[in-house]
Amino acid sequence: MRIVVAEDLYLLRDGMVRLIEAYGHEVVATATTGPETLGALLTWRPDVSIVDVRMPPTQSDEGLRAALAARRELPGLPVLILSQHVEQLYARELLADGAGGIGYFLKESVFDADQFIDAMERVADGGTAMDPAVIAKLLSSGSSNRRLEQLTEREHSVLGLMAEGLSNQAIGQRLFLSESAISKYTTSMFGKLGISDDENNNRRVLAVLAYLNKT
Amino acid sequence: MRQLVSWSTSACVGFVRACVVVVVSMLVPAVWAAAAGLWIWWWDGDPWSGIVPFLWACIGTLALCRPVCRMIRSLVAKWTGTVIPAGYRQAGPVTQMATGYWWNGYSYERTSRDARMDQQWRTRWKDPATWRDLRFTAIAPITAGVICAIPPAGVAAAALGFGQSTPAARLAGVLGLAVAIGGAPYAWRSVEPVAVRFLRASPAMALADRVDELTAQRADTTVAQAAEIRRIERDLHDGAQARLVALGLSLATAEKLMETDLDQARALLRNARAGAATSLTELRELVRGINPPVLNERGLIDAVRALALDSPLETAVTADVQLRLDPPIESAMYFGVAELLTNAVKHAHATRARISIVRDDTGIVVDVEDDGRGGAGVRPGGGLDGLRRRLAVFDGTVEVTSPAGGPTCVRMMLPCESL
Repeated sequence: MRIVVAEDLYLLRDGMVRLIEAYGHEVVATATTGPETLGALLTWRPDVSIVDVRMPPTQSDEGLRAALAARRELPGLPVLILSQHVEQLYARELLADGAGGIGYFLKESVFDADQFIDAMERVADGGTAMDPAVIAKLLSSGSSNRRLEQLTEREHSVLGLMAEGLSNQAIGQRLFLSESAISKYTTSMFGKLGISDDENNNRRVLAVLAYLNKT
Repeated sequence: MRQLVSWSTSACVGFVRACVVVVVSMLVPAVWAAAAGLWIWWWDGDPWSGIVPFLWACIGTLALCRPVCRMIRSLVAKWTGTVIPAGYRQAGPVTQMATGYWWNGYSYERTSRDARMDQQWRTRWKDPATWRDLRFTAIAPITAGVICAIPPAGVAAAALGFGQSTPAARLAGVLGLAVAIGGAPYAWRSVEPVAVRFLRASPAMALADRVDELTAQRADTTVAQAAEIRRIERDLHDGAQARLVALGLSLATAEKLMETDLDQARALLRNARAGAATSLTELRELVRGINPPVLNERGLIDAVRALALDSPLETAVTADVQLRLDPPIESAMYFGVAELLTNAVKHAHATRARISIVRDDTGIVVDVEDDGRGGAGVRPGGGLDGLRRRLAVFDGTVEVTSPAGGPTCVRMMLPCESL
């Protein structure tokens, strides 16, 4: 895969590039500022990019804004956002276009290299992958909508794991259930959330969106 | 008939009030008159014999001026509803320093009692209100005192005049009675303008008050800042630092074990990774407590939105504008909202909250409303008091409306120029 890495801290950028290359992917460009990131994303159109939220010149959310701007130009451009902290607010902004291909993780998720690369590949395939910390925050916040309240507890946990970006098979492994059982849950869940078949490609993304847009 | 009754009532009340004003305002002149009397009594040809009565009169004046002014103030407030703020300077806190000595804002003393005494005297002496009171006790007798003395004097003239049989004396008595009755309802009213004019706080006093306020705020801020730094230091010391040491230890051991026991080395490395993740989590929490990253990245409104999303309450945020304020103001407001939301969950047991951020001509207004059980109040040393003090640093104010049974609405207002 062709990958762009945008990160202003040298040590992290270097480590990330080495990790990605160790897994046999190609880093085609690196960026260290917001404008540079936007430029790299638009010129290279990478299979997936890894973008830090906070970058020069303003040291605010430059990276996030660059990623959002790039996705406005090229809808569905897969982007994996890495940050020292995760905010539901940012997760919603990233998912708002409903196009998928979005990942949002804490920086320390690279500690588990296998899982990290796995998540990156899923994002490259147009999937959605959220850090467990985002999901945990969602579960603890009080707001909920009527459609979500219809879900059973089991369906809730399946949806939570889906939001983390896990495949049906992986969800089955976590919950000690067969893959077919999981797909039964997901089908009933999609029905309850009112997500129809013709949106098949993005059903998982839409489910996660419904999950995030609880209010 | 009714008019006559109400008029005579007001005349009687006025007469009593005039007498009260005369008595109160003449207390200090009475002290001086007594001193003069003593001097004449002791007169033996030497003018220096008057020094003792003179000193007594001075001490009496100093002792009486504050009670007299206080009485006048309370009488005016009671009779006319005009409240004149006293504006006396408040003594600051007396704190024990690390050296064991007591600091009262002026000097170090060995014991807290000395410190308080010293402070009291200095505050009294330096208080412009003391000098204003002295001036008032001199002015009051010759203004309000004289006017209020007219009805009682008229009554006295009448009593004296009717006691004698000469026509001139009788005429004087009739005149005195007429003046007393005619002036009774109005004479006491002269005390109000005099008190308002001469007892209110002067600009210098207002300035002094402001300086006091700022001094207290500065002290507060310094203390709060020091406590915060200590907390951060402790958190880093017990948390991240200790974990990094443990991490280094694990890595060193793993390096050693690589040669002999690969499995155990691998287990240690796994532990080390988990430790690193934990210390990152701790650091993240610490950073969030110092300055939430989202506040830095997005400003107050989005930070409050993020806060609302994380809150267990169903929270709606309305904001009419995107604004970037000075970072310290944003931070104070953010932590204010965070504290109010926590209160709503913890104390008010609320399920919903509404936050609105509006700017008006003078500054920024943040309302936080919940549907909890109410009964919140600003208690000294409490959370809301702390909030009030944190905002006071920026001349901000906090208004709490929280009847028992709810709902609680807290309004934070900050004047700001950067709008």
